Amino acid sequence: MMARILVIDDNADLLQMIRLLLEDQGGHEVILSAEGEDGLARALDNPPDLAIVDVMMPGITGYEVCRRLRQEPSTADTPIIILTARGQPVDRQMALEAGADEYIAKPVTMTVLLERVNRLLAQRAVRPAAPTPGMIALVSLRGGVGVTTLAVNLAVIYARQSPDQVCLVDLSTSSGHAALQLGLRPDPNWSALALLDADPGEVAVRNYLLAHPAGLHLLAAPFVPVIGEGPTGEMMLSTLTLLRQGFNTVVVDLPSVLLEGTMAVLEAADAIGVVTTADPPAIQTTVGTLQVLRSFIPKVRLILNQVAPGTPVSVEALQRVLKQPLVASIPFDAGQAEALAHGKPLALTTPQSPLAQGAARVAAALVGASVRPSAT
Amino acid sequence: MEEVLQTGWLAADFFLHSYRISGRIDVRRRSLADMLNDRTTGFIQLEDAYVSPIDRPGEIIGIYSASSLTKANVTLVLVPRRDDALSRKQTYGSYYGTHLRQIFLTVPSFEIVGYLRLSARVDLRRLLSVETEEFIPILDGRVRASIWPDVAFTGGGVLVNKHHIGAFCLAEEA
Repeated sequence: MMARILVIDDNADLLQMIRLLLEDQGGHEVILSAEGEDGLARALDNPPDLAIVDVMMPGITGYEVCRRLRQEPSTADTPIIILTARGQPVDRQMALEAGADEYIAKPVTMTVLLERVNRLLAQRAVRPAAPTPGMIALVSLRGGVGVTTLAVNLAVIYARQSPDQVCLVDLSTSSGHAALQLGLRPDPNWSALALLDADPGEVAVRNYLLAHPAGLHLLAAPFVPVIGEGPTGEMMLSTLTLLRQGFNTVVVDLPSVLLEGTMAVLEAADAIGVVTTADPPAIQTTVGTLQVLRSFIPKVRLILNQVAPGTPVSVEALQRVLKQPLVASIPFDAGQAEALAHGKPLALTTPQSPLAQGAARVAAALVGASVRPSAT
Repeated sequence: MEEVLQTGWLAADFFLHSYRISGRIDVRRRSLADMLNDRTTGFIQLEDAYVSPIDRPGEIIGIYSASSLTKANVTLVLVPRRDDALSRKQTYGSYYGTHLRQIFLTVPSFEIVGYLRLSARVDLRRLLSVETEEFIPILDGRVRASIWPDVAFTGGGVLVNKHHIGAFCLAEEA
């Protein structure tokens, strides 16, 4: 079974030895990286079938590489072997806590390394396919809490995992900003779709989508705010059903009002991300929102988004007030203002930024949310 | 014999009073034991030093591309294999004793159990006072932090700084 294996180690001689071993005796394709950040970038760019990571490297340690790989949906399930000269039981524990599948202390024999690699690859081959996100609805009934920013960054993260399989839908009725955040002009948008009398069909719906180079598609909101209720629940459901047939992930940015259409989307969604900030008005609105959404609670995931600088919020205290666990907390990120101004999401340009990292945690928490609850 | 993936660099754990420092040493020309016992210099150079406090020995609190340790302040050095703890003259086909004696010894912050390899019956006083080598190789060593009993380390070899030894105890000869 030929596999694509990424090896990250700062020892150039050892890298070449491992490459020869895995290529000549294992028949695998090997990608080498001598530094943690570079290795991470390579893994996220083109996820390998397996990664071998040294602990002691300049820059970031192998533990940190491991943790970041586990946070990214595209590499969350990638088998990781930590290969390290730090060979004590406490080091093994650190490696496993960081998310490694295997831990091998140096010096290692060729036989042992090859055997562990092949065993992990064989285990992965029989592992069931990772659940796809399905349809995710993001909502907050209080404006300005960063729902659109989160939706855009989630879509970018999922698109990295499954290029051309992700559609972002901006259902804002008051001049949505998803297109702006992606540097796109919102034309066409769903306003023309809303005027159609009949079910448009999947091919026709695709004509209303905007393509983004990050490998995602956008059904944009109209630039001019909509007077009245906006698209009907029926129109939204038929459109989203068609999009579900064409994409394995649909991220819906819902307006901050509970219209008929909003409720229909919440009903149909596989997971609902309720976004809140920690200021009293937002907390009050979130408490009320959770009461309204009580019939959907099994698929609701609560997300704290810190959109302003200040003292970090006590997650425990917030959970007590909201009576619901938070699946992720996104720290304030000063870089977001610039990302918005340039139409380039942080998940695309700066994956290691606090906001992008927080969005990655949300992305992981929402995958398969309807079947397995996640923890912070 | 199985082929081991290794280069001319040895990774070892250096234990000071309160810190564990993992680093790499170039052993292509001289073994680690020979470097530690070289009296012409009081320092040993490490490449890529990774620092952990002894109460949290898995946590890396600092990474430094180069560092220099004062040999006199190094309590012990843990290495993965027995041969890594020996001097060149002890490893290359030389006769280096057949007696293995289990020992227990204490140094500041740690207790160590392992085996001394000797060519004749051991004379403790001679070993600690007359032998010229500053660092004594203990084979198959287990090192335990005295005040954190859960913190323990093992290695094929432990090079112990003779001047840090408090108690040196021999087990009954088998």
